[in-house]
Amino acid sequence: MHRRSSLLLSLILALMLGDVASAAAAQMVWSGLVIANNVAQPDEIPPELNRLEGTLKAWFGYNQFKVIGQSRKTLVTGSEDWLAASKYFSLHVDSKGETEAGYLLNLKLFQEKSVLLETEARLGKASPLVIKGPQVGDGQLLLVLVVQ
Amino acid sequence: MKTFEEKWTAWLDGELRGDELAEFEASLPDKAAAEAEKRDAHKLGAFLKEQLQDRAMGNEDFFHHQLRGRIAADARAANAPSASDGAGAKPALWPLGRLVWVGATSLAIFLVCTFFVLREKSPTDQSQYLTHILNARVDPELGPNATISMFESKEDKVTVLWTEGLQSLPSEYATK
Repeated sequence: MHRRSSLLLSLILALMLGDVASAAAAQMVWSGLVIANNVAQPDEIPPELNRLEGTLKAWFGYNQFKVIGQSRKTLVTGSEDWLAASKYFSLHVDSKGETEAGYLLNLKLFQEKSVLLETEARLGKASPLVIKGPQVGDGQLLLVLVVQ
Repeated sequence: MKTFEEKWTAWLDGELRGDELAEFEASLPDKAAAEAEKRDAHKLGAFLKEQLQDRAMGNEDFFHHQLRGRIAADARAANAPSASDGAGAKPALWPLGRLVWVGATSLAIFLVCTFFVLREKSPTDQSQYLTHILNARVDPELGPNATISMFESKEDKVTVLWTEGLQSLPSEYATK
């Protein structure tokens, strides 16, 4: 009898705690500077881009995607900023806040010290953002933001 | 040999006969008073008989059923092992069957509530959960002829900001 009651109570508590924990869970945003190009023997796509592989290949027509700079930022308050940088490019992301639909972001792509591109976007939690940057050599710079 | 009280009782009941009756009545000091007492006793007897009759039971079958049930329960309790025989002697407050029913009912209520809550919260238009570009601009010095367009793929839930006309850069810019 006591064992049964304890089991029931534990189950209820576990459900409640799980709910609270999931509600309070912070989310991570992966930001990447990616060079897309066509090669005879393409490298394996980075794991962060796995779910986007088909879309990226279809939209941009390249078979290889290499990450030249990246950042993983865990958003706790939803109002944080971070930088993903390579040798010549850097992407500054300023999160202005969180809504039910996603994060309000201000993005600035720097080419060395100059702001090449600036945009404001609402990043959906289940909807990646891809920005087509300048042509670099025989490839293309892409900026990718994914909420993980 | 009967005592006077026994003969008196028998006389009141009309059970004395013959010589015994005559002898007893002759022994009474005041026969008229005795007769009056006898009549009063008969009246009282008739009254009590009338008032103390067995009452007819209105729900006899039900009463018997209850009684048999109680007897059977008592018999089971008497036959059940005593508390010292083990934990099984103690009646469970929540038997397994009831626990299962309560659990299933609670789960059903929870699922129904969840369904309604989620239905209320689910967006009518899934596109509100897609990434949206609110505005974008290219530095006019680095891309004077650049154009910007946006695409949303609702199937893949991917949003693309497409720029054209940006200045091409040498391949060394692709280094990490």
